[in-house]
Amino acid sequence: MMGAWRTTVVVVCVLAATSGCSLVGQPDVAAWDEQAHQAVTDATSEVATARLAVQTARDERVWSSYTLVLVADAEKAMGTVQDDTSRLQVPPGRDRDAKDLATLLDDAAAAVQDARQHAVEGRYDDPALLDVLDRAEDRLARAGSRW
Amino acid sequence: MKRYLNVLLGVLTAIGGFVDIGDLVTNAQVGARFGLSLVWVVVLGVVGICVFAEMSGRIAAVSGRATFDLVRERLGPRMGFLNLVGSMLVTLLTFIAEIGGVALALQLVSSVNHVLLVPFVAAAVWIVLWRAKFSAIENVLGLLGLTLIGFAVALWQLGPDWGELASTLSPAEKPAAESWATYAFFGVALFGAAMTPYEVFFFSSGGVEERWTRKDIGVMRANVFIGFPLGGLLSVAIAGCATVVLMPQGIAVETLGQVGLPVAVALGKVGLAVVVLGFFAATFGAACETGLSTGYSLAQYFGFQWGKYVRPRDAAGFHVILLVMTVLAAGVLLTGVDPIMVTEISVVFSAVALPLTYFPILVVANDPDYLGEHCNGRFANLLGVGYLMVITVAAVAAIPLIVITSMGQG
Amino acid sequence: MTGSYDAALHLLDRQVVDSDGRLVCKVDDVELTVGADGSLVPTALLVGLPALLPRFGRHLGDVLTRTHAQTFEAQAGRAVPDVIEIDLVEEITSEVHLSVPRKGLLQPRAEGEAAPERIRLGDLLGLPVAADTGTGLHRRSRVLDVRVVPVPDGRRTVVDALVVGPGRPGALLGYDRRSEPGPWLVADLVRWLHRHARVVALGPGVEIDVPRGEVRISERASVAPLLG
Repeated sequence: MMGAWRTTVVVVCVLAATSGCSLVGQPDVAAWDEQAHQAVTDATSEVATARLAVQTARDERVWSSYTLVLVADAEKAMGTVQDDTSRLQVPPGRDRDAKDLATLLDDAAAAVQDARQHAVEGRYDDPALLDVLDRAEDRLARAGSRW
Repeated sequence: MKRYLNVLLGVLTAIGGFVDIGDLVTNAQVGARFGLSLVWVVVLGVVGICVFAEMSGRIAAVSGRATFDLVRERLGPRMGFLNLVGSMLVTLLTFIAEIGGVALALQLVSSVNHVLLVPFVAAAVWIVLWRAKFSAIENVLGLLGLTLIGFAVALWQLGPDWGELASTLSPAEKPAAESWATYAFFGVALFGAAMTPYEVFFFSSGGVEERWTRKDIGVMRANVFIGFPLGGLLSVAIAGCATVVLMPQGIAVETLGQVGLPVAVALGKVGLAVVVLGFFAATFGAACETGLSTGYSLAQYFGFQWGKYVRPRDAAGFHVILLVMTVLAAGVLLTGVDPIMVTEISVVFSAVALPLTYFPILVVANDPDYLGEHCNGRFANLLGVGYLMVITVAAVAAIPLIVITSMGQG
Repeated sequence: MTGSYDAALHLLDRQVVDSDGRLVCKVDDVELTVGADGSLVPTALLVGLPALLPRFGRHLGDVLTRTHAQTFEAQAGRAVPDVIEIDLVEEITSEVHLSVPRKGLLQPRAEGEAAPERIRLGDLLGLPVAADTGTGLHRRSRVLDVRVVPVPDGRRTVVDALVVGPGRPGALLGYDRRSEPGPWLVADLVRWLHRHARVVALGPGVEIDVPRGEVRISERASVAPLLG
């Protein structure tokens, strides 16, 4: 019986210690860069999804509720990326990059939101919509090599 | 003639029933991130499930014993119980993912939030489990699941450069941006998706439900050795579509809608509709199978009457468990948890739980007390022991890989 | 019931099926009765959590059994297992066939379980063996199984021998009893683990003392290797 208790205590301590490690950490330049890169990758995925959804909808290869679900999910995931990024503690010397990243993600989120609004209204023939998404994608692609 | 039709029906339902939410999501994710460089894992997993299912099917046909009977007889009540708890948790997780998958498929058609659809889906699943005949569940949903062939048609319509696509089959073609740890993590996930434990619980208990005898071993083998590999080809087609359409655009698969998107690009509305019907049938069928599997496992451990071959009132305890599990699964989904995330977790833990049931089956498949002259031959044992090692490695590696890659994020 | 069998390997935890082919329960434990002549006779199958829980190991089993009894404190008879008389067992294959339908079959003994002559197979299994050095048995031998044979005069069966050996994993896999089943890697490992297992015939020199928790085996006992 004592053995079982001891094991439990050790397991709980180890779990507590490891989860403690992952929750609290010093702001670290390399880790920030990595997370910035991940955020850009995730945002690229969402913008590209929205773009492909709008494109297929324009070609009438998909019905409206399918497109709507796709872009709504992309918008939600975009919001998660922004939230996660805004909570990162910025290490010294990365203030400028943090601001750029936030702007970049805001633009991308706005583009996806634009796509969602068009999807709700069922208007896919607006050429400006694809342009907005394309531009957001380009900017993300360029930023991807920065971090 | 009727016999051949039966074999054909069995093979077709085995193909259509092979793919479930785990295969759909994991294959698309892997295709979009790693191209075809992990297809060898699907092949490994499909051969593995053939070996595993053939052994347990043979045991069920000859001795009438299903998986958890054997687990308790060979491992004793204590180890057997630990095994039961582990396997039940994984199967319940898969059940939750499948019901969520049905709701997601319906959401794509109706654009109603999937959480709102969950109670209706759960009610439908339970009514089918309670009222429908076993063969009806298996055949109707299995045949409808065949519509996932749409992925193979879509891949062909997309007309990729086949030579180039084939050249990405080697593990050396892993995208440079991905680490080997992530590669290994998704390898384990893909293996778990192909070799989900419930498939074997369901297959062997289904053999008892359908009153297989020694004479049915041939038909059972045809189902396994033709049906499962062709089902595996559907998995590869899903990965291939994601590789051709989603990977170049940098799209990571996180929703069921993204899984079907390549089909929309290739085939348009009709093709997409056919494939979404396939999503529905595959997940609904797998929801029934996993639901039944939870009841099978518990009843087989404790020994009370189970199965749809008797009237529900003769197996009252079994049906109560099915009801409780369905309510539990619906309850978990109503918290708003993302079914795709549940799927990702369930396929990895499938790989962890696999040795628990594989090992006793391998032992009993060699026992003349159960099987008489139908014991494993040399070849079956060679494969059996080989896979025992593969499965053990995958199970041991799974947890560290989850921690290192934080569920494949890194 | 025909032929001899090893009770832990071939009877315990098997599925019980009634005369209509309906599933009844598992063989959670087996009741053995000590006869006036000292013979050990399987008299009943024990069923239910009170029979199953004690088999979860010495410590865990005790805790679980006590908890179960306390949970159902108010119900008389919940703490004793149900019994199926061995006469009702028609055949033991990969399942245990009964000669009667299942309705209303399971009930505890009317006189209660406590009788000094009745012991449970689950209590007998795992008992440490105190063996004289001359027997050639391994120092840390335990009871692994009991061998049951039919009595020539009729339908009754009786325990004829004990399987003893160091209690290592894999005794329930059956590899230590037969030499043919594979697969070789697993089988060889289990057979190697159980290389010290022996069959000890009940009779002179073998004394089963369940209350004191041990089995004493002297040099007079007849000891044979397990793998024939």
